[in-house]
This record gives sequence, structure tokens and C-alpha cells, in this order.
Amino acid sequence: MQFVVQDSESHLLIRVGEARIDAAIATQFKDRLRAIVTRATKPVHLDLQHVDFMDSSGLGAVIAVRKALPDHLPLVLQALTPNVERVFRLTRMDSIFDIRPATPQEVQRQ
Amino acid sequence: MKPEERQNAGIKNRPSAHSLPMFHRVLKATPETVRDALGAVRARFRDEVAGDTLGRLELVLAEVMNNIAEHAGDHDEPGRILRPPLVHLWVVGHDGGLACALSDDGTSLPAECLLPRDLPQIGSEDLPEGGFGWYLIQDLTQELCYYREGSRNFLAFRIPPCDVAG
Repeated sequence: MQFVVQDSESHLLIRVGEARIDAAIATQFKDRLRAIVTRATKPVHLDLQHVDFMDSSGLGAVIAVRKALPDHLPLVLQALTPNVERVFRLTRMDSIFDIRPATPQEVQRQ
Repeated sequence: MKPEERQNAGIKNRPSAHSLPMFHRVLKATPETVRDALGAVRARFRDEVAGDTLGRLELVLAEVMNNIAEHAGDHDEPGRILRPPLVHLWVVGHDGGLACALSDDGTSLPAECLLPRDLPQIGSEDLPEGGFGWYLIQDLTQELCYYREGSRNFLAFRIPPCDVAG
């Protein structure tokens, strides 16, 4: 399971290095990320630009991560690929999450 | 007409303009074998089918096969599967999209999975973490049908070629 965590002044950026968040790794993904975000003291940005595929178990894991964050802190999802964006749109979870494109700086750093 | 000419004769003697590949695989359904099969499906159709259609196909097949892997096997306690169901998967491309059929020797599919369904209730207090799978399957497929024959389940559906729902 690959994550890169960058702590900046305004937020905690977590880049997901897995290409697929599916039933084979959803539980592990959820547990690892929950352990990181429960200690968060600032908003969490989850960068999903490297995730090519997500199924409903992966969606459930992201929802669980959001619920693990302290109530007042937002979970921002950024740089969704088309397959991942589709799952959020079809389940109307795009209305629950703050979904943003990659920032130019973060695209450059790829 | 030679046999090979007959195969390529198409409809009303017009040569068939386009034939798409087909895919068949037999797998013992576990999250890992499902992942492998999805990769093979993608590789098989990548050159012939638009990326958006392929994405919808992959999502539906993932939901169906992971559901079989998780719920249709014999288990002695929840989550501990003694024997993964044996799944046959067929995907055939044609002008109307991708026709898919799956057969497995697991337990029966509960009837409620196939009833028209809504999304789980989204309350800001307590977000659902599951219950999306069959909604996605129903939303992304056409002509979804299921029957059980003896000890086997059969499920068939079609993935339309373009995302008409937007």
C-alpha cells in the first residue's frame, strides 16, 4: 500500500500510489488511512491522480476515511481520474465530498 | 461458399464490416482472481472499445464478480469462505455494446438484488459505506436478467456503447 504524506501549513496532503482501490485492498486501504487521519489537526487532501480504478468497496473505504476525520475537518478529494469520478457521480457522493482538480503545482511535481 | 467465406459473409451478403473480439474465462472467484480477470478483459478490448465504455464494463464486472466472491461461496462464518464459487465469464462485443454473461455454482442471488432500487439514504450524519454495488450494476446495464438452473446462477446484461445517461 503506497501513500506519500506531506504536511503543509494549511492541510495534510496524502497522495495515493495505488492504481486500483478495489475489493482486494479496500479494507487495508481504509485501515491504513484511518490511522493517519484520526490524528489529523488540519484538513486532509487526498490526491487520487494515480488511481485508475475504484469499485464500490473502494468508495466505501473513502467514505469510512471521511467519517474517521474529526467532524470539523474536511476531506478534499483531488485529481480524480474518469473511472473514479464516475463512481462518485453515479452514487451522488460528489455532492457530499469536496472534489477538486489537481492544482498546477501538484501536476508539475508528478 | 467456402466455410471461411460463410463466416465472413455478414448480413444479407454484405461482408461483416467489423467484428469485435470476445472474451471467456473460468475463475474461482476471490478478490485477487477477479482483479486479474478484469485486467485481462481490459487488455482484450482496449484497442476496440472506447475508454468510457470499457470503464463502465470494468465497474459492472467488478461489482458482479466481487459480489459472487463475497456472498455466493460456502462459508462457515461471515468472511471465511471455504470454497470460492467457480465463475464462467463471457463478454462479446457487437454494435449494440458489450454483451456479458456470467454463470457460477454459488448460492442463489437474493431476489431483492434485482428489484429496482435507489441509492442508500445519504444523511450527512451517518453516511452509508456500502449498498452501492447493485445500484451501480442496475444503473450501468441494460437487459439485465437472472435465472437459476439446478445448482448454477446465470446473469446476463448489456453495456451500451455510449453513456446515454451522461
